[in-house]
Amino acid sequence: MNHHPLRILIVEDEILIALELESLLQDAGHEVVGIAASFEDAIALSQFRRPDLAFVDIHLTDGPTGIDVARSLSGDGVAVLFMTANTKRIPEDRAGAKGVIAKPYTERGVRQALAYVTASDEDVTKEGRGMTFVPFDGCRSETSARGV
Amino acid sequence: MSADVRRLDTDPGRDVGSDVGDPFARAFLSTRMPMLLTDPHQPDNPILFVNEAFLNLTGYSRAEVMGRNCRFLQGPDTDRSAVQRIREAVAAGEGIETEILNYKKDGTRFWNALVVSPVRNEANELLYFFACQFDVSGQKNAESELVRTKASLEELVSRRTQDLQSALDQKTALLHELDHRVKNNLQVISSLVLLKARRLKDPRAQGALHNVAERISALSTVHRLLYSVGDVSRFDLAEFLGDLTGDLATLLPPGQVAVQLNLQPVAVSAAKAAPLALLVNELVSNAFKHAYPDRRRGRLLVELTKPDGELSIVVEDDGIGMDAVAPSGDGFGRTLIDMLARQLKARIDWSDAQPGTRAVVTMPIDAEEAQF
Repeated sequence: MNHHPLRILIVEDEILIALELESLLQDAGHEVVGIAASFEDAIALSQFRRPDLAFVDIHLTDGPTGIDVARSLSGDGVAVLFMTANTKRIPEDRAGAKGVIAKPYTERGVRQALAYVTASDEDVTKEGRGMTFVPFDGCRSETSARGV
Repeated sequence: MSADVRRLDTDPGRDVGSDVGDPFARAFLSTRMPMLLTDPHQPDNPILFVNEAFLNLTGYSRAEVMGRNCRFLQGPDTDRSAVQRIREAVAAGEGIETEILNYKKDGTRFWNALVVSPVRNEANELLYFFACQFDVSGQKNAESELVRTKASLEELVSRRTQDLQSALDQKTALLHELDHRVKNNLQVISSLVLLKARRLKDPRAQGALHNVAERISALSTVHRLLYSVGDVSRFDLAEFLGDLTGDLATLLPPGQVAVQLNLQPVAVSAAKAAPLALLVNELVSNAFKHAYPDRRRGRLLVELTKPDGELSIVVEDDGIGMDAVAPSGDGFGRTLIDMLARQLKARIDWSDAQPGTRAVVTMPIDAEEAQF
């Protein structure tokens, strides 16, 4: 991968999903700075570890607080990607996030998201139709086939 | 009649029942329809004559009403605009029909269907006003009863509709929640398998778990798409095939094998989505994994069509061909294909694509699916 490693925060309440994602991201050459399961943990970890990017599930241990996490983190300059089975919950203003990965996602979906965020075009493969990862601005990646 | 009536003028209290010979007068006296005559040429248009029926209706005696204006029938709740209309008609010498709330002598209210008609001579001069009264309280009460019943029924229906709507909302929310749970659980299952695979040193064991993970991934793709249309009963097969081939293409380095998709919009019932997904997953992943060894380049074609009311899926590669492929693994993949085909009542036709392999899956579509 021709990019510098990102410091990534995982905000997910299902520990197994979080751990596998951590491995996946590490395989892709990035560093996972923490796993948070609730709003408070997410904010605390973010302030303590200063990640570049956060994968944020909407449903956490303290309810659908992922939206608030996204708002807070993106306000602090962290690139936020939603990771959720429930894309309908995402508010109109997207809470500052850059895209959403629909669950259950595949490794390809995560890699697409990473490619988008690191904006290295050689990683972006030409797609057919439909995909796991949907960027929110629609025009940067040629893989954006379906709006949220 | 006029001669007789003028005679009444002189003695309003007199009981005229017996000595009136005129048939019209007799009818006027005998009828059960309350009636009266007034004289507009006297001040305040006083009552000239009333019949027995009127007295029975209103509870007054003849002496109490003769020579008075009819307004004594009005009371506090009488509609002033109705009174005004009557006054205007009389002033204009015109007739009028109206319902008006009147009062009997004992204060009882009744709804009076009043018909006032001007009586004119041959020279069209106004002589009298003739008025019929009819007690329609029964009907009026029935009407307002009906209005009240209708209003309370409407309120009942509205409340019931609200209850149903909120029950529906609850069920919909539950459905969303369930769908969300299923998707999350599939992700957990996938993670379990992959996490275990990472910890295995034996590459064959790892391979076995990755095979399982791939099939789980196919099912995950099904669920990701299953509710996206908002309709849980149908499944967009074209979109699924696009997603699936895209996912599986990552098995090879990008660009080595071009994917050609020729997909007509076809939907199948949700029940068929999972077995169909697993079946196509086997066909396509086999092609990627076995048909293009040693960086062999090529093209994979996936077609979806609906010829003659059947469903046809074609997976064709231009790789090394089935005969050249060394039998790998335990044949589970091939078994899976045959079992799934049986479940779907599908036929699979294998042929040599020269070069490569062509698999055609043909399946009946039932009548419901044909509408999609």
